[in-house]
Amino acid sequence: MGDERRQVPHLAILAALVGLLYAAYHVHAALIPFALSFALAYLVNPLIHIFEARGLRRDQTVLGLYLIIATGISIGANFLLPTVTSELSLLQAQVPMYLRRTQEYASQLQLHVAHRMPFGQTLIEHWNMKMYEPLVGHLQHVPAYLLSLVPLLSLLFVVPFITFYMLMDSSHAMQQAIQACPSRWVEQGLHLVSEIDTSLGNYIRGVLILAGAIAAASFIGLTALGVDYALAIATLSGLVSFVPYAGAIAGMVVGGLVAGFQYKSVYAALKVIVLFLGIRLADEAFLQPVVSRHSVHLHPLLYLMALMVGGEAFGFVGLLFAVPAACIVKVLLTLFWDIYVRGSGAKLASPAQARIPYV
Amino acid sequence: MLKLLRRFFIDANFAKKKAFLKSLSLFQDLSGRDIGHILAALHTKVYHEGEVLFVEGDPGQALFIIESGRVELSKIDPQGRQQRLITLGPGDFFGEMALLEQLPRSASATSLEKSTIHLLNRRKMEDLLHHHPLIGVSIMRHLAQLLSARLRRASQSLVAGETLGSQSRAAAL
Repeated sequence: MGDERRQVPHLAILAALVGLLYAAYHVHAALIPFALSFALAYLVNPLIHIFEARGLRRDQTVLGLYLIIATGISIGANFLLPTVTSELSLLQAQVPMYLRRTQEYASQLQLHVAHRMPFGQTLIEHWNMKMYEPLVGHLQHVPAYLLSLVPLLSLLFVVPFITFYMLMDSSHAMQQAIQACPSRWVEQGLHLVSEIDTSLGNYIRGVLILAGAIAAASFIGLTALGVDYALAIATLSGLVSFVPYAGAIAGMVVGGLVAGFQYKSVYAALKVIVLFLGIRLADEAFLQPVVSRHSVHLHPLLYLMALMVGGEAFGFVGLLFAVPAACIVKVLLTLFWDIYVRGSGAKLASPAQARIPYV
Repeated sequence: MLKLLRRFFIDANFAKKKAFLKSLSLFQDLSGRDIGHILAALHTKVYHEGEVLFVEGDPGQALFIIESGRVELSKIDPQGRQQRLITLGPGDFFGEMALLEQLPRSASATSLEKSTIHLLNRRKMEDLLHHHPLIGVSIMRHLAQLLSARLRRASQSLVAGETLGSQSRAAAL
């Protein structure tokens, strides 16, 4: 009875949620460290659960884990970071030269086409106007785009700090939330949290497995082909692999350019392209079935739409969080749809009828 | 020194909670480590007197385990009156059908006094089944035994009811 008296109108809850989202959009820059910390805490939490299940105290486990991770990072930074950074800076230094030589090659090709082919000159003019100039225009913005990522580096120091507190207090905060929740809604609330938890966990695990596998396969393949900067190219390919096809394409373009100019041969570049095509196919054939078995089950169209909307609204960070946010929206939609279907008293011939199309 | 170290590293409530779960028939076959995994999957809430845990018709999503206090299960009869089914106490559990499939609750549950109750969500149970199949198998076996016992009781009461019915029909003749 008391619950009914305290019941808040659904419209008020919806209005509050919309207001919160609107406010979050306006201060999203300030929320980035918290969102990243949340993601990191999410990654580390299962590890802490393993120790908690053995009776160890959470606070001491978090402290111990931080010490181990800090030691690991120090050792890793000593050995791995100099190699990756030196390879990346060498690659960065070589890029203008590669671009200049590509431009020269393109000019030679244009001259060749203009003299040898009928309507060659018209073709070249058309290509310059429709493709080349817009492409060069976009390339000019790349350094600015990369520079915009620099402030994110400061997060390297802030994020672990916030994550520490999140890990320490998450259990307590969850317990308080359960206690504060109206008694009748605890069961449904926990169900919602568990659904989101599973969905996010699957996505993060899937992304990490794919990124690790793509980076490892790229490194082994590029090393076998004797391509310079193998580690940097493999890292780049692994890092951007959370965007569908982007890992393979980045590897193909950068690796192909490096191999082409290193060996001064188109065949060397072709070998790299074939390598990344192979990695992409192997990923599709062997990895995806394993990963997607426990994955987010988002329709590919929704997946792409989420990435595009996230990128457009929040830039690079938006790309990072687009799919997890879509997962949460999907779980909420499914739950509300389920409540609606049950509430409407509709007779369903099969459970599939209770699902929302594309979701 | 060892005591001090234990106090520093070991969660004091853990052993108590573990012993409680181990005393339940549902978890009695599980090892200490398995019980630890169950504990990690459980959520606890203190319900006060008169608080409603769920209402008949709500979607069932979790198993409820009473650590302390009392909970009443009741049902609305065809005449629309609240009928008390049973009062459950410490060590009892209810709502286990929610772990098997998502069906509307067939009764309502109300806390009769301040009660500490653990909830095991269906999704968490599925995760346990996936990551620790032995735990899942053990719980599922107990649930199957429980359902089989209920089915047997229902069949017996049905037979008894039919016998009683035919006797009264015979008496009427």
